[in-house]
Amino acid sequence: MAEYLGILVFFALAGTVAGGFVVLSSIFGPKKPSKVKSEPFETGMPTFGIQTGHLTIKFYLTAILFILFDVELVFLYPWAVVFRELGAWGLTGMSIFLGILMVGFFYAWDNGALDWK
Amino acid sequence: MSDVLLLVPEIVLVAAALGLLLVARRLERARAAATLVVLTAGAAMAAGFAWPSPEAGFGGILAGDGYARFFDVLFLATLATSTLLSIRHVDSDRVRPGEFYALLLLAATGMLLAASAMDLIVLYLSLELMTLCSYVLVGITREKKASIEGAVKYFLLGSFASAILLYGIALTYGITGATGFTSIASGATENTGNPLLLSGVVLVVLGLAFKIAAVPFHAWAPDAYQGASAPVAAFLASGSKAAGLAALVRVCMVGFAPEHGLWSNVLIALAAMSILLGSLVALSQTNMKRLLAYSSISHAGYALLGLIAGTPDGASATMMYSFVYAFMTLGAFGIVIALDRRGENLSDYHGLARTNPGAAALMFLFLLSLTGIPPTAGFAAKFAVILSVVGQGHVGLAVLAVLCSVISAFFYLRIAVYMYMTDPEGEAPGRFPSTVSAALLVAALVTIIGGVLPDTLAAWTVPP
Repeated sequence: MAEYLGILVFFALAGTVAGGFVVLSSIFGPKKPSKVKSEPFETGMPTFGIQTGHLTIKFYLTAILFILFDVELVFLYPWAVVFRELGAWGLTGMSIFLGILMVGFFYAWDNGALDWK
Repeated sequence: MSDVLLLVPEIVLVAAALGLLLVARRLERARAAATLVVLTAGAAMAAGFAWPSPEAGFGGILAGDGYARFFDVLFLATLATSTLLSIRHVDSDRVRPGEFYALLLLAATGMLLAASAMDLIVLYLSLELMTLCSYVLVGITREKKASIEGAVKYFLLGSFASAILLYGIALTYGITGATGFTSIASGATENTGNPLLLSGVVLVVLGLAFKIAAVPFHAWAPDAYQGASAPVAAFLASGSKAAGLAALVRVCMVGFAPEHGLWSNVLIALAAMSILLGSLVALSQTNMKRLLAYSSISHAGYALLGLIAGTPDGASATMMYSFVYAFMTLGAFGIVIALDRRGENLSDYHGLARTNPGAAALMFLFLLSLTGIPPTAGFAAKFAVILSVVGQGHVGLAVLAVLCSVISAFFYLRIAVYMYMTDPEGEAPGRFPSTVSAALLVAALVTIIGGVLPDTLAAWTVPP
């Protein structure tokens, strides 16, 4: 079990740091409550009327586009680490992968997903 | 580098799909896109046979054997036929053709990969590629409420089944330490009887049972088929089911070979329930697409019969069944599509023989084949799977299969009675588009050739 001690220490430290910040900011932080800030669902946009579960589709499109680049990064980081060992073959593979992702991005752009009207 | 040769059919399909996405906004009519899809399917099929492909590649995760080639032909033919059937619907439903055909191509890519996967992770990803595209295809006619309802049900149950499949993969990996089929087989031999391995095998088989809509994982099929536009339903019933079977046969025969006793019992239960429930519930259907959905459920059961034996001959029988079923169901859906708005309800078929004798004759052929009456392909295929079950000594199951065939004759041939023995109601259907006629002709040819010369077809069914 000794090898798990490090993980335990990590959890304890993480808990202390995270909890510490919450406690400290609630003691020392400035408090200027306003109507928008105290709403349970805060998007930075002023809300109109009662939220009945309908959100504008634009948030969904933004989230999807975020995933596009997120997935790209998830694969780019490990590839960058072993970039030299993989050589030209790895570069070709990654270019094809990025090309396919960019077709998706172009499709979204082309069809107006980026226009926040 | 030679590994890439293995993937040329898939690369061709993906390239065409990406090309369609690039011009999606500028595409107005379905015809141009559909032509590209049919040509692409032809090119991919030619690419599969243009050079001797390696038996396996990419470190053994993909196979290029005769089994994969057989299903490649099946999926590409299904893709081309469904495309020919879909042109008029895409235009009249005001679906954007670029997206529709790109999704169709990508779903077909997933099917091709599923048939050549030799690794559980590759298998999972390829089946996800296929089903994710299918969810969207079912719901692509956004203005129809039934379409959205079918898509949501399909999506929710499909995600659930994917989770079951993944859980099974995780357990199998946990015990055997491998995701490749051959390594799983050797790992399973060392761990025979391990309860976690047994759960893994059962969960993987059940997860795949969803893809072929076997009872009790069939609930999505009637709603998805009815909600989807008829060409999409035809594509799902033929291609998606065959892909599920292709995956199931290879996983069971190669990966889980040491656990044959376990999965064959699971398959017996699935097959018996599917055949029985599919045939009985179809009796009360009045919507043609729902009827064909329940028919597809019972046919999934029949197709599983061949695999129960776990022998190469049994696997060939299942392959033959999925091939033949794909074309006869494409044909039956093709008639529904050809009659357009007048083909959805059973009552629309009253007196069809008088108003449109050609369509009635073709429908009669497909119905005979779906029932399993000689000399159609449906008979030869059904005979082979039932023979393989009898060979294993499961006489009770064989009797059930034959009895349910008799029950199914009632609802299939009732349509024939409507067509030939009642007076026409309403206006006569218009002329069929030439593309639909071409697709129907292909389906009819396979249905006849498979029945008259079953051995020519059986020669291509190379078990994994």
